[in-house]
Amino acid sequence: MLAGDTEQYAELVHRYRDRYARFATRMLGSVDEAEDAVQDAFIRAFEQLRQCRDPDNFAGWFFLILRNRCLAERRRVARAGPGTDAVVVLATEQADGPLVQEERRRALQQALLELTPEQREVFVLKHVEDLSYEEIAGRLGASIPSLKMRMHRAYDRLRERLKDVL
Amino acid sequence: MRTALVVLLLAAPSLALGVTATAQQPVAGRLAGRVPAGVVAAVSALGDSAAARGLPVDPLVDKAIEGGAKAAPPERIVAAVQAVFARLGRAQVALQAATPGVPAADAVEAGAFALSAGLEDANVQELARICVAPCSAAEALRVAGTLTALGVPAPEAVELVRQTLRSGGKERDLLALPGRVEAELAGGATPAQAAAGLARAAAARAAAHGQSGAPPHGPPTSRRP
Amino acid sequence: MTTVLHPLVKRFLDGELRLADLPPELHAEARAAERLLGAVDRAPVTLPAALEARVMAEVRQRVIAPSARRWWHRLAEPWEIRLRLRPWILGPALAAAAVLVLILARSQPPVPPVAVAAAPESVYVRFVLYAPGAHRVSVAGTFNQWDATTAPLAPAGAAGVWATTVALPVGQHQYAFLVDGRRWVNDPAAPMVDDGFGRRNSVVAVTAGAAGARAL
Repeated sequence: MLAGDTEQYAELVHRYRDRYARFATRMLGSVDEAEDAVQDAFIRAFEQLRQCRDPDNFAGWFFLILRNRCLAERRRVARAGPGTDAVVVLATEQADGPLVQEERRRALQQALLELTPEQREVFVLKHVEDLSYEEIAGRLGASIPSLKMRMHRAYDRLRERLKDVL
Repeated sequence: MRTALVVLLLAAPSLALGVTATAQQPVAGRLAGRVPAGVVAAVSALGDSAAARGLPVDPLVDKAIEGGAKAAPPERIVAAVQAVFARLGRAQVALQAATPGVPAADAVEAGAFALSAGLEDANVQELARICVAPCSAAEALRVAGTLTALGVPAPEAVELVRQTLRSGGKERDLLALPGRVEAELAGGATPAQAAAGLARAAAARAAAHGQSGAPPHGPPTSRRP
Repeated sequence: MTTVLHPLVKRFLDGELRLADLPPELHAEARAAERLLGAVDRAPVTLPAALEARVMAEVRQRVIAPSARRWWHRLAEPWEIRLRLRPWILGPALAAAAVLVLILARSQPPVPPVAVAAAPESVYVRFVLYAPGAHRVSVAGTFNQWDATTAPLAPAGAAGVWATTVALPVGQHQYAFLVDGRRWVNDPAAPMVDDGFGRRNSVVAVTAGAAGARAL
């Protein structure tokens, strides 16, 4: 019976392995860190299964575990001080062709890491995951006005940070 | 200021212009000069693997060409082609699970498109299963994928296709589904609502014609994270 | 001193306002700010499959409490995440007429592309892009091997409007517009899928039926 339950969880891990990988990558700045976060979140989710009160919403519950893991990681990095941020490694420069778009992507990702975790989170959910404010509010349990406030502060900080690049 | 839409009627019986037919050239030949050499080698190898598995190769080459045209970094091009390869493989497995025999190349491509749009392997399998001749699995998968690309959740997209077929819908009815969903969206419905409403209407038609027995008890519940 | 964006520009970035809704004096600020969103990396991320093995190795070390077992059969059902796309407005119902696709450089195009059947093997599709300020525009996609030189758009009628007619083979195609040789623009009126490169492709399917061609 134990073996059977474990294998069913393996199916869930397989199904959701990449579902929030992009979110974690944008939140943490690297695929490697996202991989660690997703792995930890799966293990934590297994340990806390009995606390999943709504089995019909496992994905949403797992997302919150992963989100908390990402926020905690960024706070740890922030406390550690400068020089410990993960560098975004999406791809190396190509030998031919324009670099502008890739440079802009990297610059924005780096600037995202300089936002507060809460500002970065709402920016990623809206402009990377393409969720509406209503959907973000439902997912995070936050009010739409508070989300917009975080987002608008993020816009200002990003614009200021990137005005010479973009 | 926006320019208003103008409705034009065009009639031109000539053949396609500006369309490059996909020739059965070696992969390397088609990619030479369009992507970096390393990408050519990687995609050629993937093409060999695809051919060995009975998967269509053209989608891999097309994606690599697209990446070159968009000036994507080599690693990203290779990753994108690998993703296409993976989806083709998943689609093939799903189609084989639905019906015996070797799935047609266009069905595999359509299945890969449906997966890229957001459907799951189980959805691809289900669509192939419910689509019996004269229904084309490739068409059903393209339509379902297009519906999902419009924002319709995968379960509702599959259900809409299912109910349309059960109500006696022909290929043209399937092809009309995205447009009908868009019409509902224009009226303020969400994609899920639009699809569910059309599915209920199709189910009612099926019930009225006695084609499916009792109508379903509403559309499947949307599940949101 | 930190540059603070105008509140209307922020609402524009949120997608609540269109560029045309902003006062003209804010257009430049809005376009500059919008470059932020153009730099967003939306490419899907695939984690190594080995992650699953590592998770399960940890999981097998743990004991499942009896109260958790009843959740398994419900958790095993498939779940979907709804994709949210911006709404668009439809034009008139398709008849046997071809309808111009007005594709705005920013947002809110009304009509999906349609064309009229030509030969059974191909269908003419007219693509229209509203891109004021552009110096050259072309459309590229799977129908022309993403070669932007084969289907340039020409200025057509009203200022800022570019158009061309392309014969597409019957079938499904992915495409995008290339503005000034460097900026890829989608057709927000059409269904879109991830292109694998951090952007999206627009999708059009053309078929020749008894009543003429149609595009999805």
